[in-house]
Amino acid sequence: MSEKKMIYLQPTPVRIWHWLNALGIVTLCITGAQIRFPEYVNLFGTYKAAIRLHNTAGIVVSLSFSLWFFYYTLFAGTMAQLYIPKKEDLQSGIIRQAIFYFFNYFRGKPNPHHATPDNKFNPMQKSAYLAIMFVLVPLVSLTGIALMNIAPLRDLLIMMGGLKILVGTHFLLACSLCAFLFTHIYLATLGHTPFAYFVPMITGWEEVEEHGHEHKPVHDLGKHAEHVSS
Amino acid sequence: MKTKIKPPFLCLALALTLVALVSAAWGAGSEGCLNCHNDITKVGKDHLIDPVKYNHTNHSKLADSNFGCRTCHDTVTDKHPKDGISVSATTRCQDCHGDVLEEYSKSMHAKNANCGDCHNPHEVCTPTEISGHDMNKMCAKCHEPAKMVEKHAEWLPQAEQHIEALPCVTCHSESKNYVITMYIIKREDNSRYGDFKLATHDELKKFVGDKDIRTLIDTNSDNYISLAELKLFNGNPAHKSIRLLGMMTPEVATHNFQVLANRWDCTFCHASGPEARQTSYISLPEKDGSFQRAEVEKGAVLDALNGTPDFYMLGSTRNPILDKIGLLIIVGGLILPVGHGSMRFLTRKNRNGKGH
Repeated sequence: MSEKKMIYLQPTPVRIWHWLNALGIVTLCITGAQIRFPEYVNLFGTYKAAIRLHNTAGIVVSLSFSLWFFYYTLFAGTMAQLYIPKKEDLQSGIIRQAIFYFFNYFRGKPNPHHATPDNKFNPMQKSAYLAIMFVLVPLVSLTGIALMNIAPLRDLLIMMGGLKILVGTHFLLACSLCAFLFTHIYLATLGHTPFAYFVPMITGWEEVEEHGHEHKPVHDLGKHAEHVSS
Repeated sequence: MKTKIKPPFLCLALALTLVALVSAAWGAGSEGCLNCHNDITKVGKDHLIDPVKYNHTNHSKLADSNFGCRTCHDTVTDKHPKDGISVSATTRCQDCHGDVLEEYSKSMHAKNANCGDCHNPHEVCTPTEISGHDMNKMCAKCHEPAKMVEKHAEWLPQAEQHIEALPCVTCHSESKNYVITMYIIKREDNSRYGDFKLATHDELKKFVGDKDIRTLIDTNSDNYISLAELKLFNGNPAHKSIRLLGMMTPEVATHNFQVLANRWDCTFCHASGPEARQTSYISLPEKDGSFQRAEVEKGAVLDALNGTPDFYMLGSTRNPILDKIGLLIIVGGLILPVGHGSMRFLTRKNRNGKGH
């Protein structure tokens, strides 16, 4: 039996946080492209305007990231539980999830992951988030902040191998984040309708099909809220 | 800014010939004068001339081929200094550098400083023989660096970085070509965390012992710095207290100092792309305080790892290989949406009525 059910998935602070990040990261990608390739990209009038906007967006995203990090580690205390893959996730979960995404999904089989408020992300999501939120975003933020403060950090930069290493690292990490953005947006279309996951990120409420006792939908990248049945 | 001296004009040569007839009896050459004028206890700070620096100048070469110091100071008598006659140069700068003065007179700078306020005629070098730092020292006589950083920071991002990496004349005078010139800077007192200062010839000599200081970078002494030689220099653990500092320098400096309108636009320097930033030089100090430069392999400033680890001009010295890797990463991010999306489209019937 399947029934339609509304759940309150994304509370207002999470939605604000998500869209602030989205605006910030897209701005960073476009201004970053102009800063690196000024001969080809000029969307913000002057080069200086692109730099100022890039710096501002960078600070906003870094602050927003810090807010997320400290909230989940210090106040909610659920960071490890939500984001660190468990032993069984690594041993079999990732493979099971990958088989679903790349094989069973096409055959119309259900998602093996049953999300609960304590275990929101499937094993692949956990691993992807671990890489993105714990490695990619902090590193791209830190290298960016360092690039804004070259003079006071001179000695540190020399120890790290110089300005070129810093710039190159920042650029390649940013390209990786940009690449993730495409994947993120695509995976968000894997709901029961293509826009099923976009709506809750705007209104907070998601319509889910309940098959008997379960389920959360296939994909929930970016969802940090607890389920509240309507 | 110092300019290369031009051959004396014909009329000046005639005038000097006349002077020569009068002064021949006093003897030419600068040696006699320098016996006293290289001693601060005899002539004081204001009249002191450093013979090493002076002998490097084109002015000294001109003097040597004419009437020694009297080429310019023609009022000096054999009773000097007891006769009390002023020996200020009667030959004026514009007698040789007329075109420079004409150009300079048109600049807004002309009413504030004359030639001697910036240039010491007994120490002048050609534009490529002087370091960017020394060029800026001339400006700093009036324009205090800290204030200039503050003033530029009103509109210029990373003002301190810019002022450290540019001779003032790069933006405030015109030149057709700009190149990247690298100097060796050294930590003060070899300390681990001291400030970096432009290294002198004597300081660099300690690194090479009996050898020429060029061998510090130009290992095979062919007056050409290859990327491999740069890599060796940068990676040498003995070079911990020295580093390369890049500057964007003009090839010819003009004297029409002004605030050039196109320099407000960052893209004057930052948008010319990797092709335009291929030419660079390493400029090393000589004993006399002047600098001699050697050409660096094309494209070394664009190298991501080994060329010039600390020199990066946003946008214009980016590494083309990294650009390609970055593009591949972004394209890689499209593989899942495109691949999975295509399969999803082809297998859509399997999910009919089951969502997705």
